[in-house]
Amino acid sequence: MNRDATKSLRISHVGLRGVVGPGLTAARVIDFASAFGTFLGAPGAVVTGRDPRASGVMIREGVAAGLMACGRDVIDLGVVSTPVIQHTIRRMGAAGGVSIGASHNTADWNALKFFGPAGVYLSTAEAGELLDIYHLRKFDFADWQGIGGMRVETGTIDPYLDELAAVFDIAAIRGFCVVVDCCNGTSSHILHRMNRRFGTNFILINAKTEGVEFAHGPATTRDTVGLQLAPLMVPLGADAGFLFDVDSDRVALAAEDGTAVSEELVLPLIADYLLPRHEGKLVITNLSSTALLEEVVARHGGRVLRVPVGRQSAMDALATYRPEQIALAGEGTGAVMMPQFRFIYDGIASMLAILSMMKERGARLSEILKSYPRFSILKGEAPLQSRQIPALLAAIRERYRDGEVNATDGLRVDWPDHWFHVRVSQTEPVVRIICERRGDPPRELYDELVEQCLAANTY
Amino acid sequence: MPRREHLLKIGVSGVRGVVGEFLTPALACAFAQAFGTYVGVGRVVVGRDTRSSGPMLQHAVTCGLLASGCEVVDVGILPTPTIQMFAGSSRAQGGIAITASHNPPEYNALKLFNSHGLFFNQYEREELIDLYHQSEFRNAANGQIRRATADLETPARLHIARVLKHVDVERIRRRRFRVAIDCVNGAGSLMTPAFLRDELNCEVHAISVDPAKPFPREAEPRPGTLGDLSALVGATGSCVGFAQDPDGDRLAVADETGRILDNDDVLALAVDAALGRSSGDVVVNLTTSSAIDDIAASHGRAVHRTPVGEANVVETIQAVHAAIGGEGANGGIIFPAVHLCRDSYTGMAFLLDRMAETGESMSALAARLPRYSRKLGKVAYEHGRLSALMQALEAHFPGARMNRMDGLKIRLPQGWIHVRSSNTEPILRIAAEARSEADAEELYGRVLRLFGEG
Repeated sequence: MNRDATKSLRISHVGLRGVVGPGLTAARVIDFASAFGTFLGAPGAVVTGRDPRASGVMIREGVAAGLMACGRDVIDLGVVSTPVIQHTIRRMGAAGGVSIGASHNTADWNALKFFGPAGVYLSTAEAGELLDIYHLRKFDFADWQGIGGMRVETGTIDPYLDELAAVFDIAAIRGFCVVVDCCNGTSSHILHRMNRRFGTNFILINAKTEGVEFAHGPATTRDTVGLQLAPLMVPLGADAGFLFDVDSDRVALAAEDGTAVSEELVLPLIADYLLPRHEGKLVITNLSSTALLEEVVARHGGRVLRVPVGRQSAMDALATYRPEQIALAGEGTGAVMMPQFRFIYDGIASMLAILSMMKERGARLSEILKSYPRFSILKGEAPLQSRQIPALLAAIRERYRDGEVNATDGLRVDWPDHWFHVRVSQTEPVVRIICERRGDPPRELYDELVEQCLAANTY
Repeated sequence: MPRREHLLKIGVSGVRGVVGEFLTPALACAFAQAFGTYVGVGRVVVGRDTRSSGPMLQHAVTCGLLASGCEVVDVGILPTPTIQMFAGSSRAQGGIAITASHNPPEYNALKLFNSHGLFFNQYEREELIDLYHQSEFRNAANGQIRRATADLETPARLHIARVLKHVDVERIRRRRFRVAIDCVNGAGSLMTPAFLRDELNCEVHAISVDPAKPFPREAEPRPGTLGDLSALVGATGSCVGFAQDPDGDRLAVADETGRILDNDDVLALAVDAALGRSSGDVVVNLTTSSAIDDIAASHGRAVHRTPVGEANVVETIQAVHAAIGGEGANGGIIFPAVHLCRDSYTGMAFLLDRMAETGESMSALAARLPRYSRKLGKVAYEHGRLSALMQALEAHFPGARMNRMDGLKIRLPQGWIHVRSSNTEPILRIAAEARSEADAEELYGRVLRLFGEG
């Protein structure tokens, strides 16, 4: 990421994010935490946790100060995954929580995610209110007698594993040899504990939680899996390989034959396992995720709802359905929510679903993957010139008017065997271009689109 | 309720204010980040007194220090002198004590120390305030952010060991003094009983030593606020009573009859004890009793007078290599051989040592001090009226010797008057001292009448 770090700060409906120091500063953290303390309605404590980045302690101190000043008690879980924080909020009946960690970003970044009661991500309406309070900077500070305190709570991994074990038969997957690339993140603590408690056979690499530098970028993509994880599969005789981002809410995978699997396949794979087991038949995903999902979901009589890209849209959509209607929700980035753990993207739960599927079918991972039709996806980006976007999208729409158009998030155009999606990223100043086709990659279409997006800069 | 602008003060003494609306976490964090930027990358010691806002502010301060690239050492709840000594002897770049000292519980403040564990001097303070106002802080990147650790044991040990080097510990232990203490549930709540009981073998009777509870009395230890200590001394038959303020730098003393000694007399006793064992002069502020001059003269030493304020006394002690210094009315004893700061522990040790050495009671020791009568008070003034008031005062005493170092100190044949404006509020502090009580009352009354208050 070669952006100017001083312009890395982004404060939006999904929280705040930036390169620590030049972008994300202590002052912003304190103000945002004060806004969150002012925003929270429900009584109770607020749970905090962080990934291992060195800046996490500084940010935790600021978050604690802001919340305590608003009269909230803070329960700090230390270095834990985002799903553990969400489970703990619900289990403790807390008023909300804050996860400090920049998940798939490099070590110099950090970010804050905010949760309401039961560990649910804030809705877009709630997040908008939080932003308004932040911008007004009028906070409801308690007087000296009402200021909150902070206590440290360790040992939240076991209750979390209890909840996973109630859904998955963890003992049944003990026979698998599974290699895991922890990306120096929080998954290593959880998997260590699982090995001890359940006798599972997770072999961990990059398992030392690191504050300053990760072994490699922690994005859950096929490319990252190819760096260290995939080459280990055959030599170690592993049955499957998984890679987690730093806060363990996303997962990517490698097959036993050493293939680095596309991150797009995680969601269809889990859908294939979960749909027959659940009453709910609705799968929520975004407009950029693979069309394979529709095929797999259709096999089980389910339906796919596509929403704009971003966690916020998925969560808002999810909130409009009864829990029993939903089979799962997720993104092509390896973030998947199981119906039992509503509103929690959880890479560890996703991994257990895939291993359970292998066990149930008695099949190798590569065999299961081969049972799906082949789709080829191309992803790229072009620099953003915000002013030109409407003209660019209009020009593209005009050029490809023979397809079926969806304009809810940039422009997505579908044909029977291929589609593309051009949209403005929410996290970086780029236009994202994604094309997919059944069979071979849609190279020509992709090149055309990239060329048009680059040309837009000279309009 | 003070006026709004007095609920927050950012200035020469750091940051002080009413927590919540005024002293916010954002302000504490920004000030700490300015401090970290100013002292430079390295270790900063952070501790606090027992105020309910302390933990919140400590998190904010730690956040700001880490963001500036400093390493933070949390020393927990400790007296301010203990934090200062540790900051000065642990290869730290500086220290921050989160305490509003003797101010009421709704207040809190940040006290700032340099790498020697001394309060920032005037020039350091001004540079820091400029830096704060400029908001150009060092913002450490992830790879430059250092650790936050805790050391809850070493500072108290270090402090106590230093104090004990300057008294005859065995002599005190042998007497097994019965001592009553009132720690106002402040920072000394745990350390003071341990110091007296374990180190000096006293039989300790304590009230208000629960750091989790609020201050049970007015925070400033002075005769009007220490009725409970007096009663405790009487009920337990203690030979002395000690009271601290919430951050354990100030000391008040009760004699064996439960009478609270005048704070100037406490300082005088400590000065007498110190001059008996170390060389050097004495430094006190302009408001401190003339008893100090008499005692210094009896040891053949000089007294240097300074403007009011601990930092002023400390700077002059340094400059003249004094043996001891302090501020009478504020209950502050500064003995540089222990550390250049107000320290109630040095005071307690000196007084017990004096009793052990002489075999005399506290009331007898106090009775042998030079006798002066003092009258202290304050009047509010309107902004803009200060100079007229001071000019009227000067005109009222033609021919008297005047000292204009800090307000106006007027020397008269029967005694002296000192009038100065407070650094923190628009009030004039008035002190009058004379050989007789009637003269002191008369001098004090004359000033009040002059200001239209009498």
